Amino acid sequence: MSDKAHERQNPAFYALLVALIFMSVGPIALMFINSFKLDVDIIGGTGGLLFMPTIQNYETALCDILWYEPEHLRFCSLKFGGAFINSLIIALISTVLTLVIGCMAAYALVRFRFFGRDTASLTTLLVRMVPPAVLLVPVFGLWNNEFCLDRDGLIGGAIREAFGGRGDVCLAGTHSGIILIYVAMNLPFVIWILQSFIVQVPRSLEEAARVDGAGPFQVFFMVVLPLIKPGLAAAAIFTFRIAWNEYLLASALSDRDTRTVPILIVNNMSEFNVEWGVIMATGMLLAIPPIIFTLFASRQIITGMTAGAVKG
Amino acid sequence: MNRHFANRMTPYLFMAPAAFIMAIALIYPLGYMMYGSLLDWNPSQSISEAEYVGLKNYVTLFYDPFFRKSFSVTLTFAFFVVVFEMAIGVGLALLLDRNIRGMSVLRTLFILPMMIAPVVVGLMWRYMYHPTVGIFNRTLDNLGLEKVDWLGQHALMSVIIADIWQWTPFIFILSLAALQSLPQSAIEAARIDGATGWQQIWFIKLPMMMPILIVTALLRLIDAFKVLEVILVMTEGGPGQSTEILAMRISRTASEFRELGVAAAMSNYLLLMLMILTLSMFAFTRLQERRSARLAAAIQEDE
Amino acid sequence: MKMLKTATVAAALMGSAALANPYADYEGTTLIVNFPAHPHYDAVMQILPQFTEETGIEVEVDQLPYLAMRERQTLELAQDEGDYDLIAYVVFSKADYVYADQLENLAKYFMNPALADPSYDAGDLIDGYVYNIGFAGGDRGYLSGKTGSLFGLPYGSETSVLGYRKDIFEKHGLEVPETYEEMLALACQIPELEPGMGGLASRAASGHHAAHAFLLHLNPLGGGIFDDSWQPIMNSAEGVAAAEALKQIVDCGPEGASTFGFGEALGAFLNGDTAMYLDTTVVAGQINDPSRSQVVDKVGWALHPMGTERASQTGGFGIGIPANAENKEAAFLLMQWLTSKAGDKAVALAGGNPSRFSTHSDADVNAAFPHMATFGEALQYADPDWRPIIPTWGKVNADLGTTLSQVLTEGLDIQEALDGVAERARATMEEAGYYTWQ
Repeated sequence: MSDKAHERQNPAFYALLVALIFMSVGPIALMFINSFKLDVDIIGGTGGLLFMPTIQNYETALCDILWYEPEHLRFCSLKFGGAFINSLIIALISTVLTLVIGCMAAYALVRFRFFGRDTASLTTLLVRMVPPAVLLVPVFGLWNNEFCLDRDGLIGGAIREAFGGRGDVCLAGTHSGIILIYVAMNLPFVIWILQSFIVQVPRSLEEAARVDGAGPFQVFFMVVLPLIKPGLAAAAIFTFRIAWNEYLLASALSDRDTRTVPILIVNNMSEFNVEWGVIMATGMLLAIPPIIFTLFASRQIITGMTAGAVKG
Repeated sequence: MNRHFANRMTPYLFMAPAAFIMAIALIYPLGYMMYGSLLDWNPSQSISEAEYVGLKNYVTLFYDPFFRKSFSVTLTFAFFVVVFEMAIGVGLALLLDRNIRGMSVLRTLFILPMMIAPVVVGLMWRYMYHPTVGIFNRTLDNLGLEKVDWLGQHALMSVIIADIWQWTPFIFILSLAALQSLPQSAIEAARIDGATGWQQIWFIKLPMMMPILIVTALLRLIDAFKVLEVILVMTEGGPGQSTEILAMRISRTASEFRELGVAAAMSNYLLLMLMILTLSMFAFTRLQERRSARLAAAIQEDE
Repeated sequence: MKMLKTATVAAALMGSAALANPYADYEGTTLIVNFPAHPHYDAVMQILPQFTEETGIEVEVDQLPYLAMRERQTLELAQDEGDYDLIAYVVFSKADYVYADQLENLAKYFMNPALADPSYDAGDLIDGYVYNIGFAGGDRGYLSGKTGSLFGLPYGSETSVLGYRKDIFEKHGLEVPETYEEMLALACQIPELEPGMGGLASRAASGHHAAHAFLLHLNPLGGGIFDDSWQPIMNSAEGVAAAEALKQIVDCGPEGASTFGFGEALGAFLNGDTAMYLDTTVVAGQINDPSRSQVVDKVGWALHPMGTERASQTGGFGIGIPANAENKEAAFLLMQWLTSKAGDKAVALAGGNPSRFSTHSDADVNAAFPHMATFGEALQYADPDWRPIIPTWGKVNADLGTTLSQVLTEGLDIQEALDGVAERARATMEEAGYYTWQ
């Protein structure tokens, strides 16, 4: 489409376009600007762009990983750096796992006729609609009480020996616990999206490879995977986005060492001081990775979105 | 090992990891929740210590004015959000379905709102709605107009506006894709027959887009029931219960009132409703597929 | 004997030190403590390094907003072995924790000669705070009394005072209100005198905030939540008067007052949007901080106005040792150090809320914070029975808060709304067994 020469249009359309862009980016830009203001400036209403930019808010947010001690802080209360690392670990690992596992399942659902296929496919569709809030109670109960290893047992004992900590070894409070639920939550969506990409892979290519003596796993990894790269990229972005942004389940499952950034932001909107500047700075830091993805991979995102919706 | 047997096992091997994870982290928890909803259970107890109370939680909830209010808030929210987003999104798509310089920039920037964290969206809007500091009231004030009590008197409306901001682009992009995949010949034919722009939209484009639009609307509807963080950060459900959607009521019941059994029963009610929606979407797509298959067959016969 | 030996060894090791070091056994221990994000505990964070320096005990703090802190603790305390060695708890958590046997009774620590500091002077701790926050098992189950005992110490406790803008009051020749009538009249008079300014900043947001604001007025106006036989009486004439007072305050308050949480209400006062502020003493440290406040040196303090009686709030936080803690004795040492005379003074100077009478009358503290004397006076009227601290309170409180918020924003009839709360509260109490003996 971009190859075609642009037709001359009524200037009103350009005005509309600019207005839309302003509306969608405006709030984000506002947050960006405010994150460089002192609270007094934000509240006092020194409007517009006439203010002294300061990185103080970012210093407050990142105080636990800065190599120097910011002067304006009496002590470092926000452990943002640690939370950022937790978020990264959780989002990256769960994205990779979801993709690998989801891909294989999608492939099986598209390419093989087997007993239980319809059940599997219907279940996938149905669990896609389960809201995180519905999972809150059972996941909280299971992860804390049932999915545990006895501290005196063989593996549990070894884990306590190696990593310290107290009590039985439970999924709650660990990175793995949060990763597990994110993988499970994202799988149905990823399977759904990837199915529509795998269908388009010409069967003849796979058959040719099989004639050459490749086993089913080789066919999958060497032939199919490279061909659905755009689909994988789209699925990866969507999975990462959910794992990176999710708040509710993470807040129920994390402990003081595994808190993620969204939890920190909600916590920081503590009722005692609403420190707008710092909140905006943390919000900005959380928003940066998705913004980068969007700017560099908008084409994949749009493909993924349309594939997911249109090819139900 | 028999090669035939190995081939038969292949699909199961491919499915196994996904099936395993979904079984222990989705299906089993959902079953656990069904069971938990029959208990009088608080977070300090493990499930085996909780007392069995049968359907009491469901009955209590059914007559609980707070739950009913929350249910109606959820429906109101979902209804308005979907209607407005569909109207604006489809409208913009019809309007902007042409070659304009800067269209790709718009599409890229337009998806930003839905990519950033709901928590961040919530805090941005909470700031903008702030009665004195926020940009809306400040602008109104500068224009000499009456200030609006956004998150007070008009909380539900304000929350809906924020959601429209975040998700209209989704509808816009899907409808644009749908529009651009329409067969040009039909539209061309209509134009030659002298149909005006409005007639083209009304009689040709909209009907042809309809299947995709309905799926889109249903997808959005299901997602509207998942919204939680934006509202949590903006209003925490208040004032009163005016923005307390079910997802928030569930989380409050579990953590603030410490009644896990009731929260589980509430989750089941929500799940039931979503199940109905999903199944209707599923049925609809099946129906659509069958109809288009029949259509294709008919066309082939014609030829 | 063994103890004596340890003491001698410690003394010998210390060389020049004349006294034995009671902390020696615990040197190198790391305590994990759970504190709220709260101005008092921000002050505590500043004096903790001093504790580590004096005792060699490291402290790792997990600071959370207080509702999140409570959720975290619910979970941690229920485990067989928990992470936290010392917790700060919100006063209304006392009921839940003590009832579930999750807090250590402090008797055995104060009995232990190796741990208890003879110069601690418990008599100097503020009575109302100790009975409100530390005691359980006495009268009505949650107050002091012959059957009661101590489970925690008040730390970061607070009472209510009235802050007012001296400059505004002077400009219009207004009198500082002594009674509720005067205060309510002023609250609505100020927006007329100073256009754009609200009368009194109060929290009112749905849930805990609205309920808290209601309670602030309920006791001074002679009302209560339950009578002596646990029948709900928040819908009595006094209760209605309290709700009407709240509604009037919010209506005459600053822009958007009906959605204010604690932070917004305080923010409005700090920003100069209101002329009065009626809430906890804990904010005093921020009023004169120029990076936060636009009303530096313009604020005077007075007692919580009198209705039919004087009854100011008791609330805030206490510290206690979880029953499933790992380092209980070291935790007790930290607890004792923090609430000792020296510790209390240090935290007061850092901007915290002292829990001792002597700190309120201390010359250094008063020089730094001249309002401390008024606060000390307010404490005489602090009412330990300000709200019922029973396990069902969470539910009643949430219902009260939601309903009151509807009164404030949707114009529900006050009497009807409170009748509804009372009816539901009665059902809750019935179910919890409070009427078993009647």
